[in-house]
Amino acid sequence: MFEQFITGFGMAMRLDTFLLMGAGLFGGMLVGALPGFTTLMAMAILLPISFFLDPVVGIPFLLGVYKGGIFGGSIPAILISMPGTGAAVATSRDGYQLTKQGKSRKALDMALFSSVFGDTASDIFTIFMIFPIAFLVMQFGPPELFAVLLLSLVIIAATSGSSPVKSLIMMAVGLWLSFIGTDPMGGVERFTFGLFDLKSGIPLLPMLIGVFAIPEIAGVVIRNEKAQKLATLMGERLTRMEFFGSFRTICRSTVIGTGIGIVPGLGQVVAAMMGYAAAKNASDHPETFGEGDLEGVAAAEAANNAVNGPTMVPLLTLGIPGDNVTAILLGAFVAQGLRPGPQLFEEQGATVFAILIAMVFANLMFLVIGYLSIPFFSRLVMIKTSILIPVVIMFAFAGAYVFRSDTFDLLMLVGFGIFGLLAKAGKFDVMPMVMGFILGPPMEYAFGQTIAMGNGDSIGFLFNERLFALGLLAATPVIGFILWRRMQTVPSD
Amino acid sequence: MFINTFKRAATTAAAAGVAVALSLGMATAEGGDNYPEKPITMVIPLGAGGSHDLNARVITSIIPTYLNQAMIVRLTPGAGGQKGTQEVANSPADGYTLLFTHNYIDMLQQHVENLPYDPNEDFIPIARINYAQIGVVVPADSPYQTFEDLVAAAKADPNSIRMSHSGNWGALFVPAAQIMKARDISLNLVPYKGGGPALQALLNGDADVTMGFPSTLGPLIDSGKVRVLATAGAERMFDDVPTFAEVGVEGDVGFMHRIVLAPAGTPDDVVAKLTEAFANLVEDKTFTRMMGRLNETIDLMDGPEYQKLREQQNVAYKELVKQLTSQ
Repeated sequence: MFEQFITGFGMAMRLDTFLLMGAGLFGGMLVGALPGFTTLMAMAILLPISFFLDPVVGIPFLLGVYKGGIFGGSIPAILISMPGTGAAVATSRDGYQLTKQGKSRKALDMALFSSVFGDTASDIFTIFMIFPIAFLVMQFGPPELFAVLLLSLVIIAATSGSSPVKSLIMMAVGLWLSFIGTDPMGGVERFTFGLFDLKSGIPLLPMLIGVFAIPEIAGVVIRNEKAQKLATLMGERLTRMEFFGSFRTICRSTVIGTGIGIVPGLGQVVAAMMGYAAAKNASDHPETFGEGDLEGVAAAEAANNAVNGPTMVPLLTLGIPGDNVTAILLGAFVAQGLRPGPQLFEEQGATVFAILIAMVFANLMFLVIGYLSIPFFSRLVMIKTSILIPVVIMFAFAGAYVFRSDTFDLLMLVGFGIFGLLAKAGKFDVMPMVMGFILGPPMEYAFGQTIAMGNGDSIGFLFNERLFALGLLAATPVIGFILWRRMQTVPSD
Repeated sequence: MFINTFKRAATTAAAAGVAVALSLGMATAEGGDNYPEKPITMVIPLGAGGSHDLNARVITSIIPTYLNQAMIVRLTPGAGGQKGTQEVANSPADGYTLLFTHNYIDMLQQHVENLPYDPNEDFIPIARINYAQIGVVVPADSPYQTFEDLVAAAKADPNSIRMSHSGNWGALFVPAAQIMKARDISLNLVPYKGGGPALQALLNGDADVTMGFPSTLGPLIDSGKVRVLATAGAERMFDDVPTFAEVGVEGDVGFMHRIVLAPAGTPDDVVAKLTEAFANLVEDKTFTRMMGRLNETIDLMDGPEYQKLREQQNVAYKELVKQLTSQ
């Protein structure tokens, strides 16, 4: 094992590996920064190129696109309050407030450093603990997934806004919106009013852009809000003091993100939200979260990037892709003659280690690429408001449209934009709604699976076979209540 | 001397340009003579990163050699494949919008739901690129040594055996239902979000049996983690594993055909050009090598031939859905 590790280390130290990885990182970052274009699309399009490259070049190239793309997504989230994925929602919360205060550079720097730290730490942890993680992954099935998702929603509702009642109302709205469309288990249409466009449900991207970006654009236009400030400042870079001030938060989020990465089916959205909620809960100044706190950016970014390491484990140890990103990587592995599976480490140990080590170096390299590109991106907000706002509006509409080229999505964007404005006027936080909407479907699916597994005797099934899930379900109200009380004792607006 | 050469070259180029422009103009007036004169869009009614997406990336990176035009992949997932399918059904029948789909979306869904299009009237097949063949899989420590063990256990205690699959009316669900029908057994079908999670459920003990394609199963079979009890078709994939036909499951069961469809009414000469391009594609060495690397087979079937299969599927799926939903 150790010998393979050393051989792999040598294999990864190639100039072309680093050059293509760098190209992938930079390209991925640009694609990720464009709302509506996903990292997944970029990876699928670039996959055939990797067929013609050596395994230790081609796969790090794709991994570069992936990692660059995830960070790229936080750029519009921070600069123009336009999260392109659910994973960037938590980042956008404090990130955009910082931009409004003229600290966009600090926010982007913090996002970069904390994502690189979270990713690197979880990758190294994965390299050394790959087999224990592989064992843990196998302990989770639908009942556990359901229990963890329910607990996540309870934590989000309890810790998000100032008023838990308003949070719960918004979460219920989000859950209801997620019911619209075809029922995932029975295939029955729900709340579609016979409209074909609603049959596949409400699309996420127009909702994200609508509720987060449109109210901000409208705010700038209607009240000429802070327009001058946005235009004159991009701010200074992050100081070492500020980074180390959030270091505890970054470490906590890395642990949370890595843990969530081990549970199949949870992913970056839950990690970012849990990292954020934990940081807010542990902080002695939770009231500054959401008002432009660098710790909020750090908490979300470290957590959603720390998911990456463990999600590779089922792919490497069993050859099973857990999501579409790992499915593309599986394609790349297979095309290279590496067949991920139980024997991969025995047959190709050195190559696998080379790829994993290249992953760690990709992070370090990205630190440099990102650091050099941030001044270029943060200059964006220095553009005159009269030019910037039309450009942002164009990006909002283009982003909502390109994802599946459907004009119906533009109506959705406008609808959610108006909803976002009304919510803002009524001081309702849209975050619990979006989280209910994103986490509702996987939770419902896991619930349906659990019922199906029980085959008519769900309670008996949980008691006999799934005590962990049952225990977690029983503990959920207690945890929710404790968190709610804690938040109540803290003075807030 | 140099200037003269340059002038002559420029004149030739201009003349060629005019000729091209004229021919383009005429082509638009007359129809598909010069097809294709702009990029072709291939709509996939499924999400990014799935096997259709990966296959399409290989196809579209090679086929421009034979069509002299680019082919662009457009992913339009939603409503179980209906969104992308509807989009192509509503597109002009000029050969510039094609659909890359599979037989379950194509022929089965019409019997489950009301569709905003009619797959039998609105589409014609252009080519079947390849198919993926399914197998029945159990974990290595399963008590079921043979397919008959599984059937006997299912008969003894109906619905007690959990089978994980990739989603209702999907590529693993339908053959499972067809097996249940053919052997008159009843399994507890538990859906998962895709073939990967369904396989993981088998390995962590949440499911007793599942279905899978050889491309994803290879390493697990070789390492002895899973055992294959039967494979689709009439010819054996493994020397010691019976086929569906041998265990009493006859017909087009357990084949996922990856097919290219065009809107009905596409001119014959356009269809002929596309047919020729796909015929050339499957002979292309780079194409065969890249598909081989993805562990995909290539087994081209032309439009008219696949249409016959399609009509059989229509009848078989109609009967299957009727039986399953009337219970």
